[in-house]
Amino acid sequence: MLMPSVVVFALFVFWPLGRTLYLSLHGNDIFGAPSAYVGGEHYREMLSGEFGKVLATTALFTLFSVVPAVLGALFVVLLLEAHIRGVRALRTAFALPFAFSVATASVIFAVIYNPAIGVANGLLGSLGIDRVNWLTDPSIALPAVCAATVWMNFGYNILVLSAGVSAISPEVVEAARLDGATGWRLASRITVPLLSPQLFFLVVVSTIHALQSFGQIHILTKGGPDQATTTLVYSIYEKAFAFGSSDFGAASAQAVVLLVIMLSCTAVQFGILERRVHYR
Amino acid sequence: MRKPRLRRTMTAFVALVAAAALTACGDSGSGTDGGNDALDAPGAEVLEKAGDKTTIEFWHAMKGPNAAAVDQLVADFNAQSGGKVEVKAVFQGGYDETIAKYKASVQQKSTPALVQIYDIGSRFMVDSKQVVPMHKFIEKDGFNAADIEPNIANYYSVDGKMWSMPFNSSTPLLYLNKEAFERAGLDPTKPPKDLTEIGELAKKLTVKDASGKTVQYGFGAAIYGWLLEQLLATDGKEYCDNGNGRKGLASKVQFDQETAVRVAQWWTDLVKGGYATNTGRKTDDAQAAFKAGTVAMHLESTSVLRGYVDAAKGKFTVLTAPYPKVSSSSTGGPIIGGASLWIDGVGHSAKEKRAAWEFVKFASNPVEQAKWHTGTGYVPINGKALDEQIDKGWMAKFPQFRTAVDQLHALPPSVASAGCLLGVMPQARKASEDGLEAAIVGSKPADQAMKDAATSVQGAIDSYNKSVS
Amino acid sequence: MKKFSLGRATVYVVLGLAAIPVLFPVYYGFVGAVMGPGDLATYPPALVPHELHWQNISDVFRSVPLGRFYVNSAVQAGAITVAQLVTSIFAAYAFAFLRLPAKAATFSLFLATLMVPWEAIIIPNYLAISGWGLTRGGLTYLGLVLPFLASAFGTFLLRQAFLQFPTELRDAAVIDGCGHWRLLWRVIVPLSKPSIAAVGVYVFLSAWNQYFWPLILIRDTEFQTLQIGISQLNDAEAAQPGLILAGVALSLLPTLAVVILGQRYIVRGLTAGALR
Repeated sequence: MLMPSVVVFALFVFWPLGRTLYLSLHGNDIFGAPSAYVGGEHYREMLSGEFGKVLATTALFTLFSVVPAVLGALFVVLLLEAHIRGVRALRTAFALPFAFSVATASVIFAVIYNPAIGVANGLLGSLGIDRVNWLTDPSIALPAVCAATVWMNFGYNILVLSAGVSAISPEVVEAARLDGATGWRLASRITVPLLSPQLFFLVVVSTIHALQSFGQIHILTKGGPDQATTTLVYSIYEKAFAFGSSDFGAASAQAVVLLVIMLSCTAVQFGILERRVHYR
Repeated sequence: MRKPRLRRTMTAFVALVAAAALTACGDSGSGTDGGNDALDAPGAEVLEKAGDKTTIEFWHAMKGPNAAAVDQLVADFNAQSGGKVEVKAVFQGGYDETIAKYKASVQQKSTPALVQIYDIGSRFMVDSKQVVPMHKFIEKDGFNAADIEPNIANYYSVDGKMWSMPFNSSTPLLYLNKEAFERAGLDPTKPPKDLTEIGELAKKLTVKDASGKTVQYGFGAAIYGWLLEQLLATDGKEYCDNGNGRKGLASKVQFDQETAVRVAQWWTDLVKGGYATNTGRKTDDAQAAFKAGTVAMHLESTSVLRGYVDAAKGKFTVLTAPYPKVSSSSTGGPIIGGASLWIDGVGHSAKEKRAAWEFVKFASNPVEQAKWHTGTGYVPINGKALDEQIDKGWMAKFPQFRTAVDQLHALPPSVASAGCLLGVMPQARKASEDGLEAAIVGSKPADQAMKDAATSVQGAIDSYNKSVS
Repeated sequence: MKKFSLGRATVYVVLGLAAIPVLFPVYYGFVGAVMGPGDLATYPPALVPHELHWQNISDVFRSVPLGRFYVNSAVQAGAITVAQLVTSIFAAYAFAFLRLPAKAATFSLFLATLMVPWEAIIIPNYLAISGWGLTRGGLTYLGLVLPFLASAFGTFLLRQAFLQFPTELRDAAVIDGCGHWRLLWRVIVPLSKPSIAAVGVYVFLSAWNQYFWPLILIRDTEFQTLQIGISQLNDAEAAQPGLILAGVALSLLPTLAVVILGQRYIVRGLTAGALR
């Protein structure tokens, strides 16, 4: 009964893994087929080229798309706990981005950010502020793509944290209230610690997602301007599939780097973070 | 419980990857050799003798209204072929996607009989050893190739022999917003002729509102490598070495030469001074800015003219002028770019090759070219198309198009204006955009930016040349 | 008391402010879909349509075969969902109930697949799938689906659910002469419906939203998925934002439906890892 899954994993996960390593050590003919063995040449190229910038961009992208989305959602979910009316409608409203795929959300943001006719510049214009080159200014493009990504992740984070909050037993909260804890005190002493499994889960999952992000970059910036949004996964795509490049060797070497980063992230997250999480 | 499991997982994982890496040995071999027969041009008899219908695939990269024009062309061809040949047009995405998918199809030995490849993919197509050179068919049939615009044929010829049939060709133009000129008290009938003049006019054409916000920029164009290639050609400069890659394989790109740096510097200065808007690399975005009337002078291909005239209706008047030269002393002319049709030989029967050629012949006759030209706005590749009635009517309706045709005929054929043949030209173009962009957004000085960009593509050129020689 | 309601008012105001950036793209996505070029393709663009431009909707279908994209995405995501459910149920049952040689090692292998990012192995997969010719015509469907026929995530979630059943149940079933097969389909699966639904919704959504794989794999427009189709629409019709947004709005309808109808299962599936 395990066979079907084992076969699929062997064919489409484990064998390609070895193959990625193999390709990363070989050159290509003009059609992209592997040619001579080149040893660590592709890896050496990474050390000398602009690959350091790619890694830095990937780190910044991950940081600024994960942290604001998690903290922002936590903030909203805590506010929703303030026993106000219409909580359910508000929660659904905040969770709406979840219904948007990366592609649909990115296309909407592409229209909003459009340099010539986008509504973002239109709104700034009516406030008397000069237009901003959202996706064409290298210092703004990465934050702009991060903002779009935060938006995409927001709904999911709200859903996860809301589920966590509703799982907190009312007695615990009541007991804390009787002890005089209200508002932010209640939140910081009781709710947030009890939400730590969800927060931990969100940080892990969002980090992994951020490291794999591709659609928003492909749709919004194509890695530009001046490589400001070229993350590792986008760089792999560009080397392997864009501009008729078919440089599968160099792309595979970068894929190996991606694999190592992901494995170490997982290991670090499970090794360090998990100890601080409050499990019930 | 969790910890040991994780460790065990990691161990199993590492062991497996190592095992897979050891066993994954290469199944290289791209199947490029198909014998010489595959690359010969069969005569008309192969179709006449055939009892059944020959069906071929035609991969193309045309979108929107241009795709409709392709479908119409194919339908017309199929209708007149008397049931002998059926062409199936298959849209493949943009130019980049099409060539990428073509490469994959070579490896899978499933190439289409006919494929439209952009100009900068030409060297790759020659080196792929998959195609029947077009001149073989031309010689076989005694086809009159003299009607093909010589300047266009120039691009697709190696050693004077045509390898592919130009299909959709365009030239670059300078676009002007007539009313913007008039409001600034400038004469729109005296368009700027070189970059310096554009720079001067851009200052006069930049308009700010009371709050100091720019409502109209003097100049705006996409950071598009093609525009730089064109500017180098108008200055008579070669884009890559070895006579633009036509005397032998080009071994390096030359967009770090003085003229290119000057272009980058000129552009950077305009953007920094606030006289030009930077809408990035996406040509659509630069087009939108011109169509919205927020840009007074703009560089683009002839192929967008029709869309501009439609979009500007009721808002402003679109004027066209010859593509600017780098300086007043420049003597060259622009390159005729676009895409061409390639007939695949390897893996295709004589019937299929012949059927592809029949379609190519059909597509380049004056009547079809006139329809194609008026339906898309591309320059007709057959000079006689201009004499067709529908073409004359169209020219009367869009007099701005006259500029493109005049520019084409005034162009002295030269090595520079034939364009660079380079196997990794798409990557070179992308690298030149990296350079331009780095300069324009101010991350690097212009000369450094262009130099770094030229260096960045060297590895790709070397490894390409190594693998084809 | 007064101070309290002031605090509550603050909460409303802050939530309202926070809602603006969250809801604006949703609003603009749908309202822009019925805005004419007069509202959109000019500067500054309008926030509220001056007139409803329904023509965008019909224009989208003229620009791209959106209906076809729908069918393709439904086939692709539907096939992946069904296949993953079946393989995951099998594997979960095996891990939960069967005595197998090297079970722990195999389980670790399954775990390992979760750590491998798809993007790191996408190149060999692309070369293999396209090398087998699974990019031609209707075979494209196979190419889209094959690498995703099994899921470690689904296996874990279902194994977790199956482990809730007492082992006596299995023994009783065996004694009754009710074999593994009947036990699985008659007892385990019907009683695990909520977990299966949770996995199903999760798998369907992630398959439906795939981007990288269909982008590089699909050659014919005829077999394009909705996500890539929308992205291409964005490239092809850049001058007509209304048309693009109409395509976006139309493509959102199924996921909106799944999210609203399957909300319960979504939260369950999404948080399965968090709640443990």
